[in-house]
Amino acid sequence: MKCFRMSLLLLFIFVTMVGFSSSVSAQVKIRLQTWHWNETPWVNSLNDFMKTFNQANPGIQVVRDDSRYADKESVFIAQSQAKAAADIPHFSYRAIRHLADRGYLLDLTAFIEKEGGQKYLDQWDPKAMEVCKYKGKIYCLPDDLNPLVLMYNTVHFKEAGLDPSKPPATWGEFLDYAKKLTRAGRYGVGIIGARQEGLFMRFNPWLWGAGGEYVTADEKRSALDTPQALEGFKFYVELLTKHKLVPPGVIEQGAQEVRTQLAHEKVSMIITVPAAPGIVQAINPKMNVREVMALAPVPVGKKKVTSTWFSMRVISSSTKNPEAAWKVYKAWYDKDSQMRNFKIAGVLSSRLDVRNSPEVKGDTFARVFSAQTPYVKLEPLTAEWPKIGDAMITAIQEALTGMKPPEAALKGAHEAANRALGVQ
Amino acid sequence: MASGRTWHDRHFGYLFVLPATLMLAAVLVFPAFMTLKLSLTPEGGKGWTFTLSHYQKAFRDPVLLQTFKNTFVFVAWSLAGHLTVGLALALALNQALPGQTFFRLVALIPWTIPDVVAGIIYRWVLNPIHGCLNPLIQMVFPAFPAEFQWLSSPTLAFPSLIFANVWRGYPLVMVMLLAGLMAIPRDLYEAAEVDGAGRFKRFIHVTIPGLRTIIIIALALDMVWEFRRFALVLTMTGGGPGTLTEVLSTLVYKTYFQFFTFEYASAMAILMSAVLFILSLPYIFLVGRER
Repeated sequence: MKCFRMSLLLLFIFVTMVGFSSSVSAQVKIRLQTWHWNETPWVNSLNDFMKTFNQANPGIQVVRDDSRYADKESVFIAQSQAKAAADIPHFSYRAIRHLADRGYLLDLTAFIEKEGGQKYLDQWDPKAMEVCKYKGKIYCLPDDLNPLVLMYNTVHFKEAGLDPSKPPATWGEFLDYAKKLTRAGRYGVGIIGARQEGLFMRFNPWLWGAGGEYVTADEKRSALDTPQALEGFKFYVELLTKHKLVPPGVIEQGAQEVRTQLAHEKVSMIITVPAAPGIVQAINPKMNVREVMALAPVPVGKKKVTSTWFSMRVISSSTKNPEAAWKVYKAWYDKDSQMRNFKIAGVLSSRLDVRNSPEVKGDTFARVFSAQTPYVKLEPLTAEWPKIGDAMITAIQEALTGMKPPEAALKGAHEAANRALGVQ
Repeated sequence: MASGRTWHDRHFGYLFVLPATLMLAAVLVFPAFMTLKLSLTPEGGKGWTFTLSHYQKAFRDPVLLQTFKNTFVFVAWSLAGHLTVGLALALALNQALPGQTFFRLVALIPWTIPDVVAGIIYRWVLNPIHGCLNPLIQMVFPAFPAEFQWLSSPTLAFPSLIFANVWRGYPLVMVMLLAGLMAIPRDLYEAAEVDGAGRFKRFIHVTIPGLRTIIIIALALDMVWEFRRFALVLTMTGGGPGTLTEVLSTLVYKTYFQFFTFEYASAMAILMSAVLFILSLPYIFLVGRER
């Protein structure tokens, strides 16, 4: 009898397991690669998307595939070479053409044609859309396009005798304000010096604002030897080296560290992206960010210009379920999802109907970011950009730490950029 | 005796090592071959077209040359640190002291911590704003302004990195030397003591000769491992300030995954492997001789 019961129990477990495994295998799993796991608003938005999608599509299960921000490309490349990449990864615009050249991205043209072709694409900012087109193929739809602005602590402004309704508009004012805001245990500005792509976004407005460029118009030579490039470069590094307006250890500070400094009132001003208010709020829940912080355009030098956080999802060419991946992809890019990303994570969509929606235009913070869109400039899309960018980070670190004077550091970057471009 | 064994008996053992051999081939030989092939492929090329241009470029690349120098400095200081700390602790832990097992376990802790975790811990400890090392120095020496930028200063970044690596890696050398110390016969020490040798002379004339082979093997193995050290460097300094702490493994990683130049990075990796092979020859020679 005992033996019979045991046999029945084992049979029950076996049948349950077989049933469970077959029900699981009937569901297509789509992996969404993300690095946002330490940015609470983004995590909330992603989780909400997955929950909504999974409920509406029982045949598909969207799961998160986390990687570190700095490793997103390396993880995807390694997985792609093993034909096991996440179905839908997330990159900045800088990586798209390199990954497409290596054959790791799925050409979306056929899917887009089925959705209506150009009429479907007309929903997005045409300039942003251009970045997704490469060698006659479409590799992505533009996702969030977030101009960078100045974010500052109004309480610190008042304490320093500055009027929070009159933020610094020029480089001179910015320097003056930063000096007044710097006091014991607090610094006027938080800047990034860590080796990460976030550095470019915070540095570019100064380089371009002075009239400098990375490369010449034909993208064949470095343009880092101009007086304008040096002026912008010096302005950035001298915030620390000459004026001492930046916390120590700047080359250890990435974007999240600087936001943390702002959240804990170690710095008063940073250059940042639209997601920052939500992230700062999550870092310091005691601070009422919407009351304490304010936004303004990046102070203007010789040119009014800003950089942008511009990213896009792509579909891996090694996906085993392209149709299901496209269904998820399309859902991510629909108006509701993009609006969700704005409402929860605070990011601005490249979708024109979201960007021009009353919700975005009526938001105190979002409208400041959105108003800077016409002044957005992208880094050169040349194939040699990663090497040029790396040389620039090296130069910034060398100058920030006093290893070299700014002139010598920038000269090193100029020579390295020319080497990368094959200039003899 | 051997003549009584059949062909089947003599070769049956190979069947048992076959799974391990196949596994090694899959995870080691195949990737190594693919890397070699990639290093000979023109940039962006496919199939079986070959070029030596990446190797020619490597021999002229000032960044690669500087990184080789950095790596040798990093390895040399790390080895010196591992040997000094490892030997000192091995000698201490070889004494019959109360709680000997506990201290031996505690001394092993750094070895159990993954590189990435160790790197992050050190970043926190050494951070000039939130870190605990500067306040600790300030507490011990109140008159001393402890405002060290351990990882941002061009003079302190490399020593800080090496310090963390010494902390992270000494237990391996310590364990090997401790095993060697325990194997030295007590009679030798007693005989030396009878002959009037003091502690220092016993250390020089008994301990060191008794450990010589183990020291060489430990250093040879350690050298290979330190030459490949990656995650600790990446998490602590990322090669900075500038390229001051860039080592070969981080440069190969950057060239492959960030510059998207897979072929050139593969050539660098092959050159690195060649150097590693040359450096490991003393170990191979010693192990061969022991047999």
